[in-house]
Amino acid sequence: MQLSTKHLLGIKDLSPKDISLILSTAQQFKEVLQRPVKKVPSLRDVTIVNLFYENSTRTRISFELAEKRLGADTINFAASASSVKKGETLLDTVNNILSMKVDMVVMRHSASGAPHFLAKHLPNTGIVNAGDGINEHPTQALLDAFSITEKTGGLEGKKILLIGDIMHSRVALSNIYLLNKMGAEVMLSGPPTLIPPYIKEAMGVQVEYDLKKALKWCDVANVLRIQLERQNQVLFSSLREYNLSYGVTKKLLQEVDKDIVIMHPGPINRGVEIDSDVADGNQSIILQQVENGVAVRMAALYLLAGTAN
Amino acid sequence: MKVLIQQVRIISPSSPFNGKVTDILIENGIIRQIADHISAEGAQVITHPDLHCSIGWMDIFAQFDDPGFEHKETLVSGAAAAAAGGFTDVMLVPNTNPAVSSKIQVEYIRQKAASLPINLYPIGAITKNAEGKELAEMYDMHNSGAIAFSDGIQSLQSPGILLKALQYVLSIGATLLQVPNDKSISAHGLMNEGIMSTRLGLPGIPSIAEELMIARDIELLRYTGSRLHITGVTTQKGIELIAAAKKEGLQVSFSVTPYHAWFCDEDLVSYNTNLKVNPPLRKKEDMLAVRQAIANGTADCIASHHVPQHWDDKECEFEYARNGMIGLESFFGVANRYGAPLETLIEKLTVQPRELFRLEVPSLTAGTAASLTLFAPGEEYTFEKEMIRSTSFNTPFIGQKLKGRVIGIINKQQIVLNHFS
Repeated sequence: MQLSTKHLLGIKDLSPKDISLILSTAQQFKEVLQRPVKKVPSLRDVTIVNLFYENSTRTRISFELAEKRLGADTINFAASASSVKKGETLLDTVNNILSMKVDMVVMRHSASGAPHFLAKHLPNTGIVNAGDGINEHPTQALLDAFSITEKTGGLEGKKILLIGDIMHSRVALSNIYLLNKMGAEVMLSGPPTLIPPYIKEAMGVQVEYDLKKALKWCDVANVLRIQLERQNQVLFSSLREYNLSYGVTKKLLQEVDKDIVIMHPGPINRGVEIDSDVADGNQSIILQQVENGVAVRMAALYLLAGTAN
Repeated sequence: MKVLIQQVRIISPSSPFNGKVTDILIENGIIRQIADHISAEGAQVITHPDLHCSIGWMDIFAQFDDPGFEHKETLVSGAAAAAAGGFTDVMLVPNTNPAVSSKIQVEYIRQKAASLPINLYPIGAITKNAEGKELAEMYDMHNSGAIAFSDGIQSLQSPGILLKALQYVLSIGATLLQVPNDKSISAHGLMNEGIMSTRLGLPGIPSIAEELMIARDIELLRYTGSRLHITGVTTQKGIELIAAAKKEGLQVSFSVTPYHAWFCDEDLVSYNTNLKVNPPLRKKEDMLAVRQAIANGTADCIASHHVPQHWDDKECEFEYARNGMIGLESFFGVANRYGAPLETLIEKLTVQPRELFRLEVPSLTAGTAASLTLFAPGEEYTFEKEMIRSTSFNTPFIGQKLKGRVIGIINKQQIVLNHFS
């Protein structure tokens, strides 16, 4: 079985078949990761550059780990330490990478569409989007889907709630694309200023501003990070007020009184969008998400290398 | 210079020859004779199976980046682009570096333009350096030849300053131009806000950023009784607001661009930076409204909004790409596609802009100086890079099928013809 695409630019471009293939392959890699020797030689002789134009801890480490466990040679490139600061354009960086005969590029970038630009100029190099602007973060959505499936048995018919900063969240958009394609129902909750005005028509989702009602509806709640670094407009009054109205707290969950699975893509702003006792509580699968991230990224890289050959 | 244009259909509603097929003889820049068949020995002969002719076309909103950004466009290359697009007259936005906000810059453009085959009319900035803060010396610029005033691609944001500017120019009868864009609303947007921006994960620019500024500017116009031209209108609502204000008798007019009629936000799916423009490509319904405004002649003019950009400002991440596309060379082949009767379309390119900005309308009669555009409205062709005379190539029209070719212009005793293979 092969993916229908050479690049992983977004969930938007994947078919439900592709998604199922990545998830089932991830299952196999998860088993590999339980073994004493956690490494397979699937991507030996494959060189992967991790091109991170934006800070990232978990995603970068997760990708790097996935690449190493597959036996690939990896190079890390972080914008702050590179010639980007000297004003080199993305196109020049791309040409340099090309000269060095790299097989795959994992890229994170603050500009939506940057990996699409890369894919246009590097048609023979596999491009994996590790998050572009406010557009997509496909491997996060895949690992979220994997984690939901693992915890609840499947995606079809499941009611998934995304809470918080939908507007600036690439995690949200990728999740919505994926959950729609896989037959889950999606609801969004958050302050109206953080929910894109056209999201219902554009994506076929429900919007419920009342968080408690929304929680009562859902099976799984994915709490999104308040993107403090992206708040370049006045979108809500204060973090305190945000926590009071949209923070997921122990008290709120007790009132809802339903066995909801709690997720968060990290990094967590404790006490803002989620309280510590919820993040660390027994309904939370936040750390499983991180664990699954490696297996899912192994699957994606492995399958993309397969289409490239 | 002796030129014989053979068997050309004249499109000029005010001329007795309108609609007739005749010969035209031009000597030393003067129309000598218009008659059924003229024989002129030694004359350069222009023929074409679909040859049409009108008085020279005028564009009211183009950016030539001279001085300051000559790597994008100079007055010479811009003039060549205009001539290739059939324009004999072009109004230039003041967004050069320094901006055209004193008579020195106005005079620089006029002097440089003297030897060029087309007439260039500098639009002076309303505010110093087009920064939107203090009024520029508009009287002085007016006396030096500034045709109108605008902060150009930088829409004037402050209602207080616009109000004063509208009052200030009353004494010289000048018109102000605005590109409607409230930046406090469009702030970080990169494309039209809507279903497409949501799906593409790009920050949106809501239509209301345009509509609100149009509504506001109309109120300021009503208060001041001045003259305002709103250019680059992209929304149905915006067009309606202006139509209502006109009906009321306010001295307001508007123009649309050919490219807002051709493309809509759905065309941005591949993050094509050549489609990153300001105002942005709107949703399909709005695109259709712009087409309609061209087709039925509601729009007073059609403006090129020719904005050259260097290739590395377009070959980059969508977010970092600069706004704008070049539009002079492809203008007619695009604008001609929307079903406007040829006479109406030519009226928008000849008489109407000159009347709006109070220029003398050249006439197509024997004994007058020739200011002519020659064109073949029925000819279909593929627009190619080789047809571009601009220094920049930032256009999404390369490879598109256009209808309506420009054969050339005759103006200021010069003749510029396009040569096609």
